[in-house]
Amino acid sequence: MTAVPAAGPARFLHGLNPLAKLLTPLPAMLLLIFVRDLATPLAFLVLAYALLLAGARITARTLVMLLVVVPALVAIMTVGFALWTDPAGIAHDVVVLRIGDWTLYGAAVLIGLATGLRLASIVALALIAGLTTTGQDLARSLVQQLRVPYRVGYTAIAAFRFVPRFRRELEVIRQAHRVRGQARGPLAALGRGFGYTVPLLAGAIRHAERVALAMDARAFGAYPDRTERHEVPFRTRDTVFIVLLLAASAALFAVFWPWGL
Amino acid sequence: MSLLQVQDLAVRHDGEIVFAPACASFTVSPGEVVLLLGPSGSGKSTLALTLNGLIPHDVEAEVRGSVTVGGMDAASTPVARLATRVGMVFQDPDAQLVTGTVLDEVAFGPENLRRPVSEVLARSEDALRRVGLWERRDDSPDALSGGGRQRLAIAAALALGSPLLVLDEPTANLDPHGVDEVYATLAEIVAAGDRAVVLVEHNLDQAIGFVDRVVVMDAVGRTIAEGPAADILRARAAELHELGVWLPTATLAALRLRRAGYALDPLPLTPEELRSALEGEPPAVPPVVERGPKARVETPRHPGFDSVTSLARGATGVDIPPLAPRAPEARDETPEVAVAVRHLTLRRGKAEVLHDVRLDIHPGEFVAVVGANGAGKTSLLHAIAGVVRPPRGTVSVGGADVARARDLTNRIGFVFQNPEHQFVTHTVRDELAYGLRHLPADEADVRVDDVLHRFGLADRADVHPFLLSGGQKRRLSVGTALVAGAPVLALDEPTFGQDRARADELLGLLTDLNRDGTTVIVVTHDMQLVAEHASRTILLDDGRVLADGPTSAVFADDELIARAGLRPPPLRAALGGLARHPELDGVVRLADLPGGRA
Repeated sequence: MTAVPAAGPARFLHGLNPLAKLLTPLPAMLLLIFVRDLATPLAFLVLAYALLLAGARITARTLVMLLVVVPALVAIMTVGFALWTDPAGIAHDVVVLRIGDWTLYGAAVLIGLATGLRLASIVALALIAGLTTTGQDLARSLVQQLRVPYRVGYTAIAAFRFVPRFRRELEVIRQAHRVRGQARGPLAALGRGFGYTVPLLAGAIRHAERVALAMDARAFGAYPDRTERHEVPFRTRDTVFIVLLLAASAALFAVFWPWGL
Repeated sequence: MSLLQVQDLAVRHDGEIVFAPACASFTVSPGEVVLLLGPSGSGKSTLALTLNGLIPHDVEAEVRGSVTVGGMDAASTPVARLATRVGMVFQDPDAQLVTGTVLDEVAFGPENLRRPVSEVLARSEDALRRVGLWERRDDSPDALSGGGRQRLAIAAALALGSPLLVLDEPTANLDPHGVDEVYATLAEIVAAGDRAVVLVEHNLDQAIGFVDRVVVMDAVGRTIAEGPAADILRARAAELHELGVWLPTATLAALRLRRAGYALDPLPLTPEELRSALEGEPPAVPPVVERGPKARVETPRHPGFDSVTSLARGATGVDIPPLAPRAPEARDETPEVAVAVRHLTLRRGKAEVLHDVRLDIHPGEFVAVVGANGAGKTSLLHAIAGVVRPPRGTVSVGGADVARARDLTNRIGFVFQNPEHQFVTHTVRDELAYGLRHLPADEADVRVDDVLHRFGLADRADVHPFLLSGGQKRRLSVGTALVAGAPVLALDEPTFGQDRARADELLGLLTDLNRDGTTVIVVTHDMQLVAEHASRTILLDDGRVLADGPTSAVFADDELIARAGLRPPPLRAALGGLARHPELDGVVRLADLPGGRA
């Protein structure tokens, strides 16, 4: 996995238990699926951004994610849903654009924007854990706090090492197929993508078998548990984080109460 | 008491008919280094997997006879318990590393054994210091070189505390520098004397120096010799060679020289021994040596019928009849130059990987492109074959600009390291026909049938390419590259990660094709392969052509080879600059030694 960048102080999100970061935003993420207004998702978006900017190490990747990818997502969703919304069911009082017979109404744009913000807020909440947790730590806390069998947890850790290998392998396969000569066009592209999976899978299965042998040869699974050098503790600060984030989520829902009941 | 006792061991994998090994027996005592020898198919790797119980516990197989490790029966003791007695190092370093840092990797074994944290750390530090990786303990294993990762795998095995290490072809996936690293590390571990080692290895030139005993199996996997390495190799070298056992290059050369009248007694096992033995005796009677460069000046051959008879058998045992005659008009326009590279400058990202390269490759040549890691070998090959399109006007193959040609598959075939990567269809027949889809169906069928027969794949025509054996896959990948009639074949590290037998089979195939007129360009790290097969060697260094000429001439320049960061092939190390035998100075190919066919 990538090394921790030297710059930046240890920000508090990185010191929290992965499960606390992953599970605490979940209730809010689920509820956000069912809101339809603009203000509620916007509020959660601001909350998640505030947490990330204050508590996550700011790397180039973080910045690109927060300042480019998420806003782009909102923009694309807004435009997409604005065009897609059936004009028959919405208010026609504000007209944004008119081309010939076709009219884009303000209400459609608002629906698109709400959808985009809703999705962005859910993504941003997921990024609280996503940008500040390593796969290894997540697997470890699954073993240590949730009592997932370590054979499963550590196999998952080993699987993280497969990813860059497969990326390299996929690149070589694409080159190899290109050399064989390929048809052009979107349909052919679909077929090509399918064609890559067979060699990739064959290689993956063989690789996994070898890794399994190597792990067993090093006494993996000898005992029901194993020495853990990296404790991923669950501390008071995790409890505080959970309580505060849940309280904040509840407060936001209470203030905006987007269901009109 | 012996650490390991193997008694009448026979193993049959699920779905196989024969037992290989068929009947192996030997013992290993504490601190001893035992080299396992045997021809391909004798079951050396299978035997290695039984030593810590992976066979039959993890890999289904029928096992007869017994393996006893430190008093425990391997077939009935869990692998996890045997792991404290037998440490394993496999061929592919990437397939045995499981964690994110060097330290975690070494700690993985002791952690599984539930040792206290302090002991885990102490063992890990000790193991990492022994392989020279302690300073890099916080790095990701991915940041290490291939040799470094294999040293890490050795450290991970050491950390288990087992008194026996089993290494199965530990250098097959490494470049020459990595091989040196791993052997230096192994030599130190052996010198410490606290671990016994069982080694399966084809690269005997470097291993032979510290091996105590050898165990030799015959073709079906019965033990036929066991004893001190020097005694057995010296006394029975010719017999072992007949059997198909790999021998050190120096020993092979000595066997040949003996036939030419050199005494060479005792038989040398290392380049140093061969050298001092030769310096110790007067020149032999018939010192007429065909020197490489001269011997290789050949009249250009036309691709086509010419060598029907000479082709019958390759080293492969697979008959490769000659290519079907190409269409007459194709033969008439056989160009003077097969590949022309002019002012080729190539960038990858921001870095310039090739600088103003210029070279010509003529029809019928067997060219090796060598150089240290990062010298630009693969980039050059990719540009020539159009895997990566070069700038316009810089590379032409068969007279056509690679940057623009649409029919490149008719001009040059490219073979990737892993044949599976190239397969795009669901049967062997379709795989070959794929390259001919612009031809009329009947004409394509004729060509496909021709190639199926040539490459010994006729009875596998309707099988999925992935279900072929390793050797068949390799032949099919070469067949697909050539089916469209390409007169030039380019291969990238074709022997990397393969055992010696498969590598030899491929080289036999390439030699036959080359004899039949196909121009072969190969990028490789394997210097002995280059020396034995390539008529011409192009030496790249830092993106530039450092030398280009007949193979023996390039390897005769020790300074040049060293400057490019390479090692001379073993024969060169033994024979270069001999004072008493100037007739042998400069020979790099076994085939160029006096003494007839070895």
